[in-house]
Amino acid sequence: MNKTHKLTLRQKLNTEKAAGIICTMPFLIGFLAFMIIPMCISLYYSFCDYNILTPPVFTGMKNFQRMFTDEVFYQTLAVTFKFAFISVPMRLVFALIIALLLFKSTKMTGLYRALYYLPSIIGGSVAVAILWKRLFSLDGLINKLFMALGMKEPISWLGDTKTAIWTLIILAVWQFGSSMLIFLSALKQIPTSLYEAARVDGANSWQQFWKITLPLLTPNIHFNLVMQMINGFLAFTQCLIITQGKPLNSTLFYTVYMYQQSFLFGSTGYGAALAWVMLALIAVITWILFATKKLWVYDGGL
Amino acid sequence: MKKKVLSLLMASAMVLGLVACGSSEPAASNAPASNAPAASSQATDNGGAAAEDVALTFTWWGNQTRNERTQAALDLYSQQNAGVTFDTQPAEWNDYWTKLSTLAAGNSLPECLQMDYSYLEQYVSAELLVDLTPYVESGVLDVSKVDPGILESGSVDGKLYAICAGVNAPSLFYNKTLLDELGITLKDNMTLDEFKEVARQVYEKSGVKTDLPYAAGDNYLPFLLRAQGTNKLFNDTSLNVANAESLLPGFEIYETGTKEGWIIGADVHAELTSNSVEQSPLVYFSSEATQSWCGFFWSNQLSAMVAVAPEGMEIGITTWPSDDPKQSNFLKPSQFFSVSRDAGKNEEAAVKVINYMLNSVEANEILLGERGVPASSDVAAAISPLLDETAQVVTGYINDVVTPNCSPISPAIPDGANEVYNYYNELVDKILYGQITSEDAAKELFEKGNIIMNR
Repeated sequence: MNKTHKLTLRQKLNTEKAAGIICTMPFLIGFLAFMIIPMCISLYYSFCDYNILTPPVFTGMKNFQRMFTDEVFYQTLAVTFKFAFISVPMRLVFALIIALLLFKSTKMTGLYRALYYLPSIIGGSVAVAILWKRLFSLDGLINKLFMALGMKEPISWLGDTKTAIWTLIILAVWQFGSSMLIFLSALKQIPTSLYEAARVDGANSWQQFWKITLPLLTPNIHFNLVMQMINGFLAFTQCLIITQGKPLNSTLFYTVYMYQQSFLFGSTGYGAALAWVMLALIAVITWILFATKKLWVYDGGL
Repeated sequence: MKKKVLSLLMASAMVLGLVACGSSEPAASNAPASNAPAASSQATDNGGAAAEDVALTFTWWGNQTRNERTQAALDLYSQQNAGVTFDTQPAEWNDYWTKLSTLAAGNSLPECLQMDYSYLEQYVSAELLVDLTPYVESGVLDVSKVDPGILESGSVDGKLYAICAGVNAPSLFYNKTLLDELGITLKDNMTLDEFKEVARQVYEKSGVKTDLPYAAGDNYLPFLLRAQGTNKLFNDTSLNVANAESLLPGFEIYETGTKEGWIIGADVHAELTSNSVEQSPLVYFSSEATQSWCGFFWSNQLSAMVAVAPEGMEIGITTWPSDDPKQSNFLKPSQFFSVSRDAGKNEEAAVKVINYMLNSVEANEILLGERGVPASSDVAAAISPLLDETAQVVTGYINDVVTPNCSPISPAIPDGANEVYNYYNELVDKILYGQITSEDAAKELFEKGNIIMNR
């Protein structure tokens, strides 16, 4: 059959290529209208003096230069890095432990999986953030618990610069569900024959974990690490609702500072510049994670 | 390999989906537009003028009481004026300004909006509000019963952009029950030293602390500086003070309170929603260490405060302490009503609604001065018999305590001022944590404040 013949419209529409384009149209339109175009606009704003109310005025690199002398900028960077670098690994370890526990099938496994996944669904919500604030307040449950165990004075978890960030970290760790699910499905793909062979060779379960389970999970660990790292840097709701950066900016996340500059202080141009710097930072970190992939991720077949 | 790529894609799509779910913010609650029957039978008021249908959006910030009353007043307007319907959009203070500025950028501001004194100048200079002067001249908007000084506060460069919705004044709310028990009586127009003395006594006798304004520099710093003769804190590109010492009064009282232990610290405030009536340590506490005998608020918030006070706690009202009360005190339009540039052909209809809110006794019988004492003297007199005890106390406070002993309000703040106030709040935090002296704080505010304003 000679394919160079001209096709009728009907035939054209019937090709796989046309179907593909048509079916992806809704996504493409949305992606362009709500991602790419706003991003371009924001890039333009980052070079402008802009406060939303009045039209932007082009000022070149001024917004980016301002960052060098902005102490709060460095402070929020430090807070955000601390938050991401502590909460993400902790969350992954936690997710892995729970996944290993839930791997063994019993009658209740389905229920447990659903229950442990629940925090991930509700954890980012405003309601849970408010609940969290109450838990750690002076007369909250955590203090009541410690006092019952013999502590004399209640601790101001949210009011101390040393502890406040930890309430946010713990909230983040608690939302381990999606990582857990990915680990669970990966665990199921590990052939039992490997474990049988190991047992025949006399390996105990500890050795089996380190020599079989963990190496075969590294691709999933890597994937989770990348995704969660990105999420960690973009964390917003918890900080805005629970601490608003208090006390003394010790919990002020980068994104919340960006929001403050954009909408509260009338420096929307500066806020846009901050956003682009964050994009660059995340890109670098993701690149580093991929660059070091070959050092620790097992990529062979089974 | 193909399978792996696919699973990776699926997983990432899933995670992205989750992210989208987690971060989606609740859409602004659009209370259903009034669906009161705008039946023709009720249109007789208008002489049956076949007015075409007008749908107006009305937005404000506030609290539950205000939302209900405003909705009811607008419903009444719809009943009286066939064809006029409202899409009402109440919001919280912070969200309100975020929302409004985004709407402004999209050229879709609501026709009628509530405006605040501190934002008025920015909105006028961005040409977002309609000049109401022609409507006053043509009689659509009747301002004859409004005090000229109050009317003037809604004007920029001689043009009227905003109509005062009610008058209030800074007021110190205090736990009268507690002070009576301790045998302490407060007098109006306390000086700072007298106030500190009360704070000390209360702390010694009962362990109850004092709550100074927290994260509220925009209100308190200018109030304190007014007593030193600084009526205007900001020029367009600098702070309008000669040196760092002039800013010292803004910090000293916090330092004294921290050193002497009677102030509610930043650690307690870390758990509270700042400047919320419901979570003020005056009424919301778990022990003496988190309780305050007073709170710094505005007179129109008294009803809300009384409503949330624990049973048996009587709340009193007096002036904020100042070394020169006459200089410091002022009457403030608690909020304004404005018509936005985007009203277009509905402009006149929107102005009529604002006229109704200002002058209609019927409307104000529903609103009952929740936004402050009504600006129209006729309306204020007409509704005063209807007011409950608390509202009467507020009216008395405004008329008898503040009005005879106050100075004109400071000019509206320019761009950048809010960031300076935020920096001031951070410095107060450092003082509360004992990390800095008030002299150093004043120096830093002077330096950084000038840098911010000059940006």
